[in-house]
Amino acid sequence: MRPELAVSAPVSESVSRPLVSRAGRWPAAVIAWQTARKAVRSGALWGYVFGAYVATSAFGYAVTYKTPAAREKFAATFGSNVAINALIGPARQLQTVAGFTVWRCLGVLSIVGAVWGLLTSTRLLRGEEDAGRWELLLSGQTTRRRAVVEALFGLGAGLFVLWALTAVITVLVGRSSKVNISPSSALFLAVTLVAPAAVFLASGALASQLAATRRQAAGYAATLLGAFYALRMVADSGTGLQWLRWLTPLGWVEELKPFTSPRPLVLIPIIALVLVLASSAAYMSGRRDLGASTLPDRATSAMHPALLSGPTRLAVRLVRASVIAWCVGIAAGSLLIGFVSKQAGNSLKGNTSVGRVLARLGAPGLNAETYLGVGFLIAAIMVAFLGAGLLGSTRAEEADGHIDHLLARPVSRSSWIGGRLAVTTVALVLGGLGAGVFAWLGAASQHSGVSVGSLVAAGMNVVPPAMCVLGIGALTLGVRPRATSAVVYGLISWALLVEIIGGAINLNHWVLDTSVFHQMTAAPAISPNWSVEAVLAAVGVAAGSLGVLAFGRRDLAGE
Amino acid sequence: MTSTAIRTEGLSKSFGSVVALRNLDLEVSAGEVVGYLGPNGAGKTTTIRLLLGLVRPTAGRAEIFGFDCLRKPVEAHKHLAYVPGEASLWPSLTGAETLHLLGRVQGQVDTGYRDELIDRFDLDPSKKVRAYSKGNRQKLILVAALMTRADLLLLDEPTAGLDPLMEQAFRQSVHEARERGQSIFLSSHILSEVEALCDRVGILRAGVLVEMGTLAQMRHLSALSVEATFDGSVPDVSRLPGVISVEVEGRTVRCQVRGSVEPLLKVLASSGVHELLSREPSLEELFLAHYGPGSDVEDDAAHAT
Repeated sequence: MRPELAVSAPVSESVSRPLVSRAGRWPAAVIAWQTARKAVRSGALWGYVFGAYVATSAFGYAVTYKTPAAREKFAATFGSNVAINALIGPARQLQTVAGFTVWRCLGVLSIVGAVWGLLTSTRLLRGEEDAGRWELLLSGQTTRRRAVVEALFGLGAGLFVLWALTAVITVLVGRSSKVNISPSSALFLAVTLVAPAAVFLASGALASQLAATRRQAAGYAATLLGAFYALRMVADSGTGLQWLRWLTPLGWVEELKPFTSPRPLVLIPIIALVLVLASSAAYMSGRRDLGASTLPDRATSAMHPALLSGPTRLAVRLVRASVIAWCVGIAAGSLLIGFVSKQAGNSLKGNTSVGRVLARLGAPGLNAETYLGVGFLIAAIMVAFLGAGLLGSTRAEEADGHIDHLLARPVSRSSWIGGRLAVTTVALVLGGLGAGVFAWLGAASQHSGVSVGSLVAAGMNVVPPAMCVLGIGALTLGVRPRATSAVVYGLISWALLVEIIGGAINLNHWVLDTSVFHQMTAAPAISPNWSVEAVLAAVGVAAGSLGVLAFGRRDLAGE
Repeated sequence: MTSTAIRTEGLSKSFGSVVALRNLDLEVSAGEVVGYLGPNGAGKTTTIRLLLGLVRPTAGRAEIFGFDCLRKPVEAHKHLAYVPGEASLWPSLTGAETLHLLGRVQGQVDTGYRDELIDRFDLDPSKKVRAYSKGNRQKLILVAALMTRADLLLLDEPTAGLDPLMEQAFRQSVHEARERGQSIFLSSHILSEVEALCDRVGILRAGVLVEMGTLAQMRHLSALSVEATFDGSVPDVSRLPGVISVEVEGRTVRCQVRGSVEPLLKVLASSGVHELLSREPSLEELFLAHYGPGSDVEDDAAHAT
């Protein structure tokens, strides 16, 4: 062959101009920018959730417990309950709006923030690396360590937005005469609420350098969170081991004591820990190969053929870990709700304003069942999120090109997506069942007298709304694949917003009806309306079937 | 099942306003090895994805062994195995697990041949896919396709990322498949590979099949390469009829001639030729002739991807 005989490609005029132009003033900051964009988007979403949680906690308490007597009664009931203190942290000054808000928000949002932090940093550091995108970026004008430092600044931007939104909403809530919290206290509360997120963003960043995959990194960071939480629980269980609180950053966060007796100096160890974790992450990143782990990794594995004989079994194998994680979360939450239901029901007795709030949420009466009825609304939201997550991974199988290997073989499109949707539906049922059974276990341990049958029925009651969302999501996947996640998460977030606002004020019933959760009765406070549930499930199945048909009639779509 | 492995009629695909493939009429007989050439974005992968039914044609139709690619994909896929150019596999499965899964899904595996292929391609199947290099992933999907002994192999740039030793192993496997009577549709831009393996070659340009035939036919239709070195001054041959792609380097002229060589010979004879070489064009020259400015192909679908 004589390549010199080759006729060269047509030369365009552009050759006479300089070929390389500078991409911007800071070509090296592209990683910071890329990471920040994604982190800020997620931080904004969760900042809104944090803010909404603070608002509902503060207003809910202020509206519910109007008289000092009612507040004292509430504080006496919950303040002395060791088990609840161990689960969500020590109760201080529950007879004040501020005291209640700190107790409830810190107990719940410190865990939510920590999980957000570890998932966000492992996704944006290790996930991007696993996807091969870092390789391209690292071939540019940067080094490994510098890239990680840049990404950490990007994550910091996300954290800042999370704090800023939480702070703005908390300050606005505090201005209300019912709540009455000073702006400086509100800002400090926001700092306290996002501190666990900061610690676990940094932990996730370090785990991303130690582990071999994103999932493994998230697992390491989650184990650390579990250990810190367990330590905090022992410290708060009233067994004279309060000093253990100083061994866990979740304990330090409690020691910040916003509103009641603020101790800003405790921020010093928290900030120091974040800096140590973050700089270790940057240091470790320079000591390993791209795509490799620092800790020894098992790159080989024995053959496990049980779930490899067809596309649906493969789906079970691919999603089982995340289904188990979700179901454990749902079960733990339901156990907690069941556990406190009797006491919560007792503290509500004779309180008409609470009755009004709960009635707006669809749970009439004032007893353990009422409280559980509201609790199952949370289970319904979590089960719906489980469905959304699994639908997202179904779409990812297509976007990543994995299904090409199946669909180029004798596998029909309808059997592939039908199998995925069936596996997802089974996961929804498992989630609902877990919610019912574990709520009963919690309630029965306190002799609350709620029957297992009614709680399992309440658990099943949350499945059809999730099926409805799943079906609409599947239809989107069939018609506009790239919009799938936006549509399902949008539907759930909207329903969540309607429920939160609907609990606080009287909303027009047309607006309330747009929430898929509003169609569901607040079982076990009211027995499930199975005909409405059947309609919800049927809408889900019909939309899902249309989605299956549409999926069989379109081009496969990449990312 | 018919004896025609692939048949397309007026097969076309547009993505929005972009025409990726226009009016493709193609026929590949059972047992035939056909090369499919074209630069990046010419529509090679689109053709294969249309044949697999992964994307739907804007117009026209395609059949695999008589089964419509859209209406009877499962029946069609029972007769074929596909190797994509980029192996995006499940990272958490090991090589062995991937082969097991894909074999079970396909429904037929020659296990003896699979083990032979694993040895030949020097693959460690106990490793997880995420621990494989790009080349090893490519070897894995090659083994997964070849082990099925499917009647038709659809190969989309199958040797991207393979080293020369593995390229040899690949060629050996293709020869074996051909001897067993399997049909092969090989999309590639490695011209030596196509030249060594294929009975017929199609050349795709901007979504249009501009040439289809055996190498001998294509050489006959194509230009002859001529290299002449002169004693004295170099004559201007660029205006002679049929002479294209003229390059002058010192006293040497290289060019290609379509049609009669007589006008060129006359000029050469009167100009004191010191040395004259002429030969049939290589596939690379044939290929480049279709894309260079000297080609006579109408550039009617220049915007295809």
